[in-house]
Amino acid sequence: MAARRSTARISDWITYGALVCASLFALLPLLWGLSTSLKPPTEVSAWPPTWIPHTPTLENYAAVLANPKYVRYLLNTLGVTFVVMLLGIGLAAHASWVVARTRFRGKSAMMFLMWATVMIPGVSIIVPMYLLSVDLGLYDTYTVLVIVYCASVVPTLVWLLRGFVASIPQELEESALIDGSSRAGVFYRIVVPLMRPGFGAAAVLVFVTVWNEFLIGYALVLGDEHRLIQVGVYYFVTDVGIEWGPLMAGMIISALPIVILFAALQRYFIQGLTGGAVKG
Amino acid sequence: MTRAAVPTLPSNLPLADRAIGRGDLQCRPQKWGRVLLPYGFFLPAFLLVAAVSFIPLGYAIQQSFHAADYMGMGRFVGLQNYSRFLGDGQGWRNLWQAFVFVAGSVAIALPLGFALACALNRPIRFRGLFRTILILPWLVSNLVVALLWAWMLNAQFGPVAYLVSQLGGTLPNAVTSPALAMPALIIANVWHSYPLVMIFVLAALQTVPAELYEAARIDGASAWNRFKLITLPMVRNTTLVVLVLTTLHTFNNVTMVFVMTGGGPVGMTETLALRVFVEEFKYYQTGIASAAAVIIFALNLLFSVVYIRVLRGENTAKA
Repeated sequence: MAARRSTARISDWITYGALVCASLFALLPLLWGLSTSLKPPTEVSAWPPTWIPHTPTLENYAAVLANPKYVRYLLNTLGVTFVVMLLGIGLAAHASWVVARTRFRGKSAMMFLMWATVMIPGVSIIVPMYLLSVDLGLYDTYTVLVIVYCASVVPTLVWLLRGFVASIPQELEESALIDGSSRAGVFYRIVVPLMRPGFGAAAVLVFVTVWNEFLIGYALVLGDEHRLIQVGVYYFVTDVGIEWGPLMAGMIISALPIVILFAALQRYFIQGLTGGAVKG
Repeated sequence: MTRAAVPTLPSNLPLADRAIGRGDLQCRPQKWGRVLLPYGFFLPAFLLVAAVSFIPLGYAIQQSFHAADYMGMGRFVGLQNYSRFLGDGQGWRNLWQAFVFVAGSVAIALPLGFALACALNRPIRFRGLFRTILILPWLVSNLVVALLWAWMLNAQFGPVAYLVSQLGGTLPNAVTSPALAMPALIIANVWHSYPLVMIFVLAALQTVPAELYEAARIDGASAWNRFKLITLPMVRNTTLVVLVLTTLHTFNNVTMVFVMTGGGPVGMTETLALRVFVEEFKYYQTGIASAAAVIIFALNLLFSVVYIRVLRGENTAKA
């Protein structure tokens, strides 16, 4: 008995040791970036490097936020994200309900095709997307960004929301039908309000996808007017050479909304980002 | 006589009440709803997704067999784009570098994520805190991952270089060093990828009933046997799924490579995915870029089919 207790204690210590080491591996790059963003230029290039800034300053953040381009990138990204949320979740919510609840001709073939698109890697279609968007006069517009981002999130959103629809007791919908509601009315008045937790996870999925996306934002946008934050930070770097202090500040501002949202909505995050495969 | 058994209800009653008597009445006004509504609800989403995925894919495949004029499809050239891509050896090098990047990343991220999931599945203190911290690297974008690690490994001002110098060595600039560029990319990618493995495996572990372990313990099974005979089979499918996800994410990843090394030094980290991007947006070689893009798509497809086969085989074998 005593022997078993002591082996249990040893394995506990090994567990804690491993978790602490892994946490350091996870945190150190982030902390190093944060520390750099709070240093004046002289300290950024100090040797030996310091983890805690001797003279912490917010000047890097001030410089980044005073740059009208950077603010423009942030607002562009917010706007595109918001429209994709409304449009993508709207489309996916309608589709997910009929996928979960009704049978119609061609359903399985269309669903197979829709989910097959998830297997098409972005890099395989980015070149034609660029060429086609130029042909269609959509290159360098918000419209093309919204369309492409919507299309890239909708299959996962349908998959995710279908799970939430399936968890709504079907008797509710049937009794509303018997009470004389139209089918569409059942969806808007009964199903949509009950899908709210699903919308939370869906919104997180859209937010993180659009906010963190680089490739499409790079290939389909020409100038500062429609540029999104990830590409903006990339250009922001090369514009000024590499000034690590402001770069890290700009980068941290760009990553902050997601980290804050994650802290507040961890469950939705895990559900949304794993497409509902993991319940959070 | 049977007529009398079904009383005729007055038509000003609510629909539900009438429906009790005459079943078809509730359906007829809703024929539109039953037949057309599913299409009305499903098609907008479907058509958008299909148009934005299959049209460009078809275009890429067609383009890969045609010469590229400026911004347009040129004449049919058969397999010439493919032979130009693979013929000079660079295409094969891209494929090899993609393989090294994927194999290196998966070989570290998978066991690491798995081990951390097992650790987080134990009844320990601060479990929630550890889990939150360990998930963080997954939330930041590829761009941020690349910049953070380039700065961590910076040879002039970075903490890793300082550590190496304290140990009496010198760290060459990781992103421009032929020996270190690929390992640096792999480390950055492992940092970004292990949390997904951890989350999936942890979720699978939590579905394993505790009684199984209890019973095995009473039967005298060792810790290793409990792991091998209970844990592994129960999380095997999930692990396979997340292995495929990580493999494909890494194989298709352009952004991290583009931002961190740009494929350098001298093309030593130019993966297949990066090559597509560089050919199109740097050299405007649409033909070669399309051939490479189609090869990437074919490899994705091949890999997914193999994995579905394996998963199916597993399940039918079990049943």
